[in-house]
Amino acid sequence: MGTSLFYFLAFVALISALGVVFAKNPIHSVLFLILTFFAISGHYLLLNAQFLAAVNIIVYAGAIMVLFLFVIMFLNLNTDTEPHKPALAKVTAAVAGGLLLLVLIAALRNVTPVGADAATFDSQIGMVNRLGLVLYQQYLLPFELASVLFLVAMVGAVMLGKREEGERNF
Amino acid sequence: MLSIILLSVSGLANLFLGFNRSNRLILPFVLLVLAAVLGVTVSGIDTHGALAVWNQSPYFTGMLTFDRYAQVFTGVMVLTTLLLLPFSQKYVRDGNANLAEYYSILLFSLVGGIMMVSYNNLLIFFLGVETLSIAMYVLAGSDKSNLRSNEAALKYFLMGSFTTGILLFGIALLYGATGTFDLAQMGNAVRAIPAADAGLRPMMHIGLLLMLIGVGFKISAAPFHFWTPDVYEGTPTLFTGYMSTVVKTAGVAGFFKLLFVAFGGETIEFWLPTLTAMLVLTLFIGNVGAVAQTNAKRMLAYSSISHAGYLLLALVALQSGRLSVNAIFFYSLAYSVATVAAFAVLKLVHDQRERDDYDGLNGLARTNPLLAFVMTVAMLSLAGIPLTGGFFGKFYLFSAAAQEGHIGLVIFAVVMSAVGIFYYLRPIMAMYMKPAAEGSDAPVFVGGFQSAVLVLLVALTVLLGVWPGVVEGMF
Repeated sequence: MGTSLFYFLAFVALISALGVVFAKNPIHSVLFLILTFFAISGHYLLLNAQFLAAVNIIVYAGAIMVLFLFVIMFLNLNTDTEPHKPALAKVTAAVAGGLLLLVLIAALRNVTPVGADAATFDSQIGMVNRLGLVLYQQYLLPFELASVLFLVAMVGAVMLGKREEGERNF
Repeated sequence: MLSIILLSVSGLANLFLGFNRSNRLILPFVLLVLAAVLGVTVSGIDTHGALAVWNQSPYFTGMLTFDRYAQVFTGVMVLTTLLLLPFSQKYVRDGNANLAEYYSILLFSLVGGIMMVSYNNLLIFFLGVETLSIAMYVLAGSDKSNLRSNEAALKYFLMGSFTTGILLFGIALLYGATGTFDLAQMGNAVRAIPAADAGLRPMMHIGLLLMLIGVGFKISAAPFHFWTPDVYEGTPTLFTGYMSTVVKTAGVAGFFKLLFVAFGGETIEFWLPTLTAMLVLTLFIGNVGAVAQTNAKRMLAYSSISHAGYLLLALVALQSGRLSVNAIFFYSLAYSVATVAAFAVLKLVHDQRERDDYDGLNGLARTNPLLAFVMTVAMLSLAGIPLTGGFFGKFYLFSAAAQEGHIGLVIFAVVMSAVGIFYYLRPIMAMYMKPAAEGSDAPVFVGGFQSAVLVLLVALTVLLGVWPGVVEGMF
């Protein structure tokens, strides 16, 4: 059951990820991306990471995708305005991406997955309270320092986005 | 740790100073904070003694160590910033509305830099890289009405966030291969891999390779350097100076720590050829690219690529241990001081003459002898002429590499620094040999405090050149 579910989710994730790249219409790309995120959330559930699965849907499939849609609608993107990429760039990108794929497959080919031991497995490991304990004890310092990172991003976004004196954007 | 707290808190406080109508308070406040942080770092109360004990409380669980290594490189970065900021006085005079934000972002980015040199856990390293990079993306675009600046910010942001993805992928694969983010444990796991599970070896290799790409981009090593000239040219000069000094120091020192602690020993055979190829390419592209430039800022961008190449020599000579750490320290100190001096002069000239090509420097020796002299010393130091700090920086790097038997690399690097002398002499020629253009022969305005800092920069460069022992015994 678990294995077939994994293959199904992996199939959906791959197909919809390809859809993101190949869809002509940017809105379709975004919709495919949402599908990809749902499939990945399914993987998180299979890995017993319930909290991550929920956060992935709320943050990525929810908030960030809405942001994407906003930007696409603001810029009024459609197939006519899409910049035409030269053939050389396409070939180079395909060769480079293909090489990366080849190297990754070759590198990970011999890795033997270590399954969880059913006797000692703790099914509560992905629960919010367990996560909180780890986050606020072992990983407290990175957690706090991440706030500096977000502060920089916020200050920067406000600084770049705020209207200067005598300037009108819209 | 104390420096991180001080910088974060005063960065926040500084944002509130921005509510004031007048800008006059902000610069003195920031300089004071930086001086305090430098004092805390140099005095070492953060490193040893009672205050350092709470670092080891269980909450921090070995995420970050403020040891000698971190102390020294934090000192270099804070000193660089402290020497660079007096040249932002024009922003104060013009009543720039975003001044408090600029300084706060700089202070926060220093926190990122300190994380990158004091991390003990790859999670902290990644957070540091991101804090530093995001601050740089914003500052690259801080001149909002300038199209060049917008272009620089967008280019840097798009490419930078893509490489961040690659870096993160590398860290994830390393975690997969070793099962830990902790540097020391990762080193143990890496050494145990051949015996434990040989199938994991390629996974570790590919993770390391992806990290090499990510960090290579941040320090603008070839072949990941393509963004550098455009971004450096478009970014406001003050922040270009910051980018080419602090970011480079943090990146090289952080990556050295990773390679030294976790990937020394037998693993060297895997990454050494890659790193050597990158080094040769970086030195070649940086030095040959700089020859063709007519813009002083673009020239300094290529020169910063070539200096990344020299610094990679220390990574190649990693096995020499103390020797190469000392070389990185001395070189980044000498290079930072000289680069700050060069960008300071360019900034002052740009503020008045509004151009930063070589011809903009014409006749500077007549109108501003001090500026011309500072620029000359800076250029000579970057070129590695004796009696300047740059000479001993290169000397330490080359001797570390030679000790490890990389004679061919050292000869190549020496040839490349001979090429360097050619393009570093061009601004000097422009200043001393060519007359100023009609209408722009008025002396460039230099404040009294700025003159003092310029003299200090020259004094430091010469001091490091005649008495390199003054900073010896750090390690």
